[in-house]
Amino acid sequence: MDRDASHQRDYWRSLEERADTPEFRAFLEEQVSSNPSEWLGPTTRRDFFKLMGASLGMAGLTACRWPEEKILPYTGRPAGRMDGVPSQYATTFELGGNGRGLVVTSYDGRPIKIEGNPLHPENRGGTDALTQATVLEMYDPERSRSVLKSDGRELLSSSWPEFEQFVAAHFAGVRAGEGANFAILAEASSSPTLARLRGRLHESMPGARWFEYEAISRDVERESTGWAFGQPMRVHYRPARARVVVSFDEDLLGTHPAAITNARDLVGARTGEARLDGHGQAETSELRLYVVEPAYTLTGAMADHRLAVLPSEVGRIAAGVALEVATHVASPVFTPSVRAALEARRGSEPLPAIAVAMVADLVRHGGRALVAVGPSQSPAVQAIGHLLNSALGSIGTTVLYTADPEPTRLSHVESIRALREALTTGEIGTLLILGGNPAHDAPVDLDFGAAMARAEVRIRLGLYVDETSELCTWHLPRAHYLESWGDSRAYDGSICAQQPLIEPLFAGRTPIEVIGLVLDEPARKGYDLMRGVWAELMGPEQFEPRWRQALHDGVVTGTGFAPITPALQADALAARMAGAPAAPKADGFELAFLPDLKFYDGRFANNPWLQEMPDPISKLTWDNALLVDPSTASELGVKDGDVLRVTADGRVMDAPVWVQPGQAKRSLAITLGHGRAAAGKIAEGAGFDAFRLRTSNAQFAVAGVQVERAGRSYKLVSTQDHHAIDKVGEKERTSRVHELVREGTVAEFQHHPEFAKHIGPHAFEAPLWNQQAYDGYKWGMAIDLNSCTGCGSCVVACQAENNIPVVGKTQVGKGREMHWIRVDRYFAGNPEEAAIAYQPVTCQHCENAPCEQVCPVAATVHSHEGLNDQVYNRCIGTRYCSNNCPYKVRRFNFFNYHKHLTPLEKMQFNPEVTVRARGVMEKCTYCVQRINSVKIRAKNDQRRVRDGEITPACAQACPTQAIAFGDLNDPESRVRKAQDHPRAYSMLAELFTRPRTVYLARLRNPVDGGAEHGHEGDTPVPQDPHHG
Amino acid sequence: MSGNIFPKWVDTIRPVVGAVLLGAPVYILALVYFGFWPTTRVVGHMPKQPVPYSHAVHVGQLGMDCRYCHTTVEKAGFAAIPPTQTCMGCHKQVRAESPKLLPVRESYGSGNPVPWVKVHDLPDFVYFNHSAHVTRGVGCVECHGRVDQMEEVYQAKPLSMAFCLDCHRNPDARLRPPEFVTKMDWTPPGDPAETGRQVRQALQINPSTDCSTCHR
Repeated sequence: MDRDASHQRDYWRSLEERADTPEFRAFLEEQVSSNPSEWLGPTTRRDFFKLMGASLGMAGLTACRWPEEKILPYTGRPAGRMDGVPSQYATTFELGGNGRGLVVTSYDGRPIKIEGNPLHPENRGGTDALTQATVLEMYDPERSRSVLKSDGRELLSSSWPEFEQFVAAHFAGVRAGEGANFAILAEASSSPTLARLRGRLHESMPGARWFEYEAISRDVERESTGWAFGQPMRVHYRPARARVVVSFDEDLLGTHPAAITNARDLVGARTGEARLDGHGQAETSELRLYVVEPAYTLTGAMADHRLAVLPSEVGRIAAGVALEVATHVASPVFTPSVRAALEARRGSEPLPAIAVAMVADLVRHGGRALVAVGPSQSPAVQAIGHLLNSALGSIGTTVLYTADPEPTRLSHVESIRALREALTTGEIGTLLILGGNPAHDAPVDLDFGAAMARAEVRIRLGLYVDETSELCTWHLPRAHYLESWGDSRAYDGSICAQQPLIEPLFAGRTPIEVIGLVLDEPARKGYDLMRGVWAELMGPEQFEPRWRQALHDGVVTGTGFAPITPALQADALAARMAGAPAAPKADGFELAFLPDLKFYDGRFANNPWLQEMPDPISKLTWDNALLVDPSTASELGVKDGDVLRVTADGRVMDAPVWVQPGQAKRSLAITLGHGRAAAGKIAEGAGFDAFRLRTSNAQFAVAGVQVERAGRSYKLVSTQDHHAIDKVGEKERTSRVHELVREGTVAEFQHHPEFAKHIGPHAFEAPLWNQQAYDGYKWGMAIDLNSCTGCGSCVVACQAENNIPVVGKTQVGKGREMHWIRVDRYFAGNPEEAAIAYQPVTCQHCENAPCEQVCPVAATVHSHEGLNDQVYNRCIGTRYCSNNCPYKVRRFNFFNYHKHLTPLEKMQFNPEVTVRARGVMEKCTYCVQRINSVKIRAKNDQRRVRDGEITPACAQACPTQAIAFGDLNDPESRVRKAQDHPRAYSMLAELFTRPRTVYLARLRNPVDGGAEHGHEGDTPVPQDPHHG
Repeated sequence: MSGNIFPKWVDTIRPVVGAVLLGAPVYILALVYFGFWPTTRVVGHMPKQPVPYSHAVHVGQLGMDCRYCHTTVEKAGFAAIPPTQTCMGCHKQVRAESPKLLPVRESYGSGNPVPWVKVHDLPDFVYFNHSAHVTRGVGCVECHGRVDQMEEVYQAKPLSMAFCLDCHRNPDARLRPPEFVTKMDWTPPGDPAETGRQVRQALQINPSTDCSTCHR
């Protein structure tokens, strides 16, 4: 068992669990409480009998048949249409000016599920959680439903014809004045159609001014590339070609526009292209990921070495690394002036040991190194990234540059500032706001809401009547992208087509339609406008087939931006850098503003799926919080939920504390987009609005922040401690975490490929009865922990596919969330430098399932293909199965969660899956509806199911393809090969449950190759890398 | 007197109360037993349709194949109800003025569907797939009865879980070569079980009785 002991790193789920605080014990008590009043809520026994009596009476009155149903066939069925067979269409979702390629499943005319478009250069079949959740946004009953017109005090109902009349009258005047006092504020868009219409607008109204604002912007990159190369450019990373990746506060795998393709490539390079195949020999590459960042990101969680530093310190370390590299690499970019600029930024403190190791790796790998600096750093710090990539020869291999599509536009902050100036001086009489929500997310120092009021006519096109709409004279309902014709360009420049899946539910219109209206274009429909522009762009030759192909594929291949190899202008850059020195160290704390992985800048805040999805790092649901590192928290004397009053630049906000291991010392962080004032009922009272502290000069971090205790506390709900049992059980469990989520190092794997199988006790196979033989199909799953980034895409995919209810904050607080797949997040090592380990857990479909053995009514039984079937109609809700499940993957419907859904929201339901009622147990089915439909199709064709034909929703959505599913009886199947992989292990195999889901151990690649291995409680961070 | 709270006349209804108390359990049991019996609830269910469409005329007399209208039955889970276009294909000429066809003509003109009433309505937690059965040689008649003789369609079989399982457990007697699935009056040339056995072997039919086959 000595191998076993060697892996017994110190794993823990939360600081409270680790410290065993009184609060945690109280939480445990609550978890196992069987107080009936607590289960029943406010309903008393007397009420219950009253209801029972009434319903018995009603039962006698109703007929013996269920309600009559109507069949409404088509009057003329479209060609190729088959009733009840879902069809899929490619379309595009634009966020922050980048088109995301999607394939949307439509069931009898209702879009119900969003998946990534395999042909799209960035999505490649995968998607993130928020994109998938937008299908629910389309059915949100709180979306704005009609045109509204202000009577000076409030918005009153109006109509499109009335608005069209107004436009005809008003814009005739605007056009006559050449648009001199007309301004448009749009969210970022790369739509070719919109760009063309914008050109026409400038022709017909030369005086009109176009502004663009996004709260979350990568404009710093345009500025830094301008400094370094003389023109603004867009940076593309190719981690697939890298051997070492260094991220300075760049969330390559989370919030980067190309995060999905970055994650796929990085994971691919890390584990080898054949990561789920082959037999292990030298299958791992040596890719090593270093991350320097203030707050944990998904990229930080995947890091081999991570350094948590203050936001302002990132630049100092980057400069130090560059100077060290300069001593080893003779490159023309390190001119004396550049060196001087770097020296000035480096400061006097020595480089941390990790940074020294990083330098050695960078120098060793040269052109196969990749340095990424995030958009939250200043242009000067980003420029260090360009310097390093240029010096190492990475440009053209791991880092590509393309020309910025709009080189002359103002940055988003400058743009909104300029608009505010124009508004305050009274230059703007008519303001048209297309999307966005500046009243909520514009820099707080600009007080944009007040400035807006200076424009006499304020027209807003928006999905919701939100903070901005409330300040406008006209509100126009915007068509959701699933209802819209349009286009966009992917981050790599590929032109993407957007086609509607459904007619606008609330008579919404798209930005291009509104601009068309303002321009008095002859074409008014989005389809005609788009088709007209595409006909101009594509040319008349063979237009129809090419147009159809573009709509079919969702993307026009070969339209990506061409990479260019820019020359670094070292001395010009040095002058710029010298002109923008690092700010002197301020007293107090530094507060970082993070883009939210769920809500982005807050526009998705009214989405219940996203509200309930646990944040990948903090595992908080329904709220955000002020993230504070453990040592600072104890210094301040605060614990989770204590409210802190944060003062930055004289602005104050209160927010509860969440103690976050791995957060940089004396730094605070909060995600944007929560705490919206007018987002809707779902978002009401959820979270805290960090935009109230965000100024135009401090967009990503603010220094010199003062905090004091507000003396209150706020209930935060996180899923990280759920499924705890009691103190003894918890202790036992904690001591076994290393057996659940198995990890090793690359060196260890090369020395002993099957290391993972030998962690944990030996599984004795002593069956009590004859084991079932599985001769036909034998379904199984493999989850590669080396590929899992913990992003939570699978959680939302499963929720959409399987009609999983949202239960709300109170119920999540009681451990009653319904997600069939959860992503367990463990911390390893000491709280200051904690590493993160993720493990998605779903029903393991045990061959000897403990749940099946205790069900008194046989509501959970085994199928002949090895599925653990759950039969809702038999279930009487004893919950014995859940008690007996060692993996804690069964979910109980404590209430009829779907009861209060509106008919509109019910349109999202997947008709292939039963909607469960109160009192029944449910759990992952391996997406049995997908298995059955493929099986039926295959059998109709008299053939066997082919490998890869069945993809459960979680596996389909996974950006890194960490989940393999298929027939274990097929020796060539991806899942069979994965399960035969040396890294494969079964969780809790010693219980002889024989789970069908198998995990592949995670490999870390630390500098000293796992030499630390053997010492209990080691962190993955080496103390002295020179011994490597 | 304090102990006597019931008035005198109560004595007269005592035998009635006794009879009710004795009879009630029997009555309730019988009510529940027969009330929930599948036959009671569904067999013979014949809702009124907006158009008195006669399968007896179209299939029985004119000899139209089921798949002329229910086109998707071999490929999809649902046997599609035909679009109004299909009806009008003939009825533009044939009985073009018939008042019975008014809803069809209205639908054709307005584009609004004809609101047919579902006859064979399985519960929402049951997933039945037509294509999986029709391509395996389960005749339409096995579940729908002699539709070719029905003036108005009614439910001929219980379509209960027991009904499904009978066949899934012992399919031989109900299988026929797939080319005859829509032939309502088809009879096997010899022993039905032997014909069925041959079909089962040829098509490798192995009906599953796992719960997730129909419930998911």
